[in-house]
Amino acid sequence: MSSTSQKHKDFVAEPMGEKSVMALAGIGEVLGKRLEEKGFDKAYVVLGQFLVLKKDEELFRDWLKDTCGANVKQQGDCYGCLKEWCDSFL
Amino acid sequence: MPLFEEDPAHLSKSRLKSDLVAHSVALPPAQSKKDVYVELHLKHIDQKNAADFSSDEEDQVRDVADKEEDAEDAEIPDPSGLTDDDLKAALLEHGFKAGPIVASTRAVYEKKLRKLLQPDGQDHLNGAEKGVVYSDSEEEDEEEEEGSQGAKEETVERSDQTQQESSQNGDFFYPQCFLPSSRLVPSGSQSVMSNGCSFSSQAFSITQMVEEMESRRSLSVSTDTERELNGSNVQEHWSRSNRLDMPIVDKHSMKNQSLYYTPKASPYKWGMKLSQEPVKDTFKDMFPDTQATPTGIHATRRKPIKGAAGRPIQYVYPDTPASPTTQERRAVERRLVPIQIQILVFLIVVVLLYLIYACVEDNSFSPFVALLESLNQGSDGEEGLLLPAETQDTPALSGQE
Repeated sequence: MSSTSQKHKDFVAEPMGEKSVMALAGIGEVLGKRLEEKGFDKAYVVLGQFLVLKKDEELFRDWLKDTCGANVKQQGDCYGCLKEWCDSFL
Repeated sequence: MPLFEEDPAHLSKSRLKSDLVAHSVALPPAQSKKDVYVELHLKHIDQKNAADFSSDEEDQVRDVADKEEDAEDAEIPDPSGLTDDDLKAALLEHGFKAGPIVASTRAVYEKKLRKLLQPDGQDHLNGAEKGVVYSDSEEEDEEEEEGSQGAKEETVERSDQTQQESSQNGDFFYPQCFLPSSRLVPSGSQSVMSNGCSFSSQAFSITQMVEEMESRRSLSVSTDTERELNGSNVQEHWSRSNRLDMPIVDKHSMKNQSLYYTPKASPYKWGMKLSQEPVKDTFKDMFPDTQATPTGIHATRRKPIKGAAGRPIQYVYPDTPASPTTQERRAVERRLVPIQIQILVFLIVVVLLYLIYACVEDNSFSPFVALLESLNQGSDGEEGLLLPAETQDTPALSGQE
């Protein structure tokens, strides 16, 4: 099992509420800005996209790459973060 | 595109075959591409149907037929030109069940369809080449795609077929079969087996292995644990029977199947032991005390997050934490009001004592009565007070002397 970052743990520990998209694991300032430009300004909007893609890993990764140019690691971190959040709270 | 008319390209090859047979049309050779079937279907059957429809629909059918004949290389033309429903249907045809196609997901699904279209042509070539070896390979093509993507409750025989098909396709077997553990969550133990089956890229029969294991274990193990062992031992077998790159794939499969608990040592062990006797349940050896569960999954209850999703709060913190000093201060404060009352009472007692002292000193009540009378008088009250006070003092003093 790969280790999770502190950001991941923080995000997964509680309901996301109105957290910014940069609170997602794998999404930093640069990626966050790009996502915001596309209209994904809050973490829950990205969650919405994740759910609409039926939590499919490959589709979500592709979407993330196309939308903000995330690399493989960042895609994986973000996917894992959202997936675990859904497991706990959804 | 009208929905009631079935576009021949959307039908499976076997369906096209049966339609052609039903309309008593001569079938093309067995290894033909689907496009050949589509053409024949359009030529013979659609023209028959067109006679019943109005001229407008007939024109549409002809246009569609022309389009289909033009685009022989790709089964469906440019994905961006399709409507949402068509895109979904095209993805379904390639064996991928798509979610809602919304504005934000459209681009993703178009890309997906393009990816599916590219290796698809090569898949058909492979299918044609190996058609000689397998008698009904063409039908298995469609079945295999459906099987790999959808069926979670596949039996062992079914997964056997997918196994053969995956061996045909090799690298082009789309990684959607690398279903993440999220898909494994609702499925249970059999999906573990079937998904594990789809990982390996070499041809071997799972039924044979299962039979082997069952014959060995039939005496000692109950049916419930058998399934668990099958799941674990099947993977042991794979690593042993497949030499070169299987252990690596198995390691991946181990990692992907996060629900399935296996000790870390075991993948490395399996890679080493290629010639050893097959049946050795390392898991059970290492953990002899654990009870055998029907699914082989041992999971500890996740510690519920406080207040999350309506889960009960196990440990209730006090609302306002108070240190001992604050508690003392509160106790003291509780007495503050009584302290004021005590002071009042004290003053009243002092005044009374003073009056009593004044009475006792005089040994007679007359000045006290005069004092009282002077007190009762309203206007002369103050002056009256002073005078009797002075007169009182001087006799008191004189009395003492």
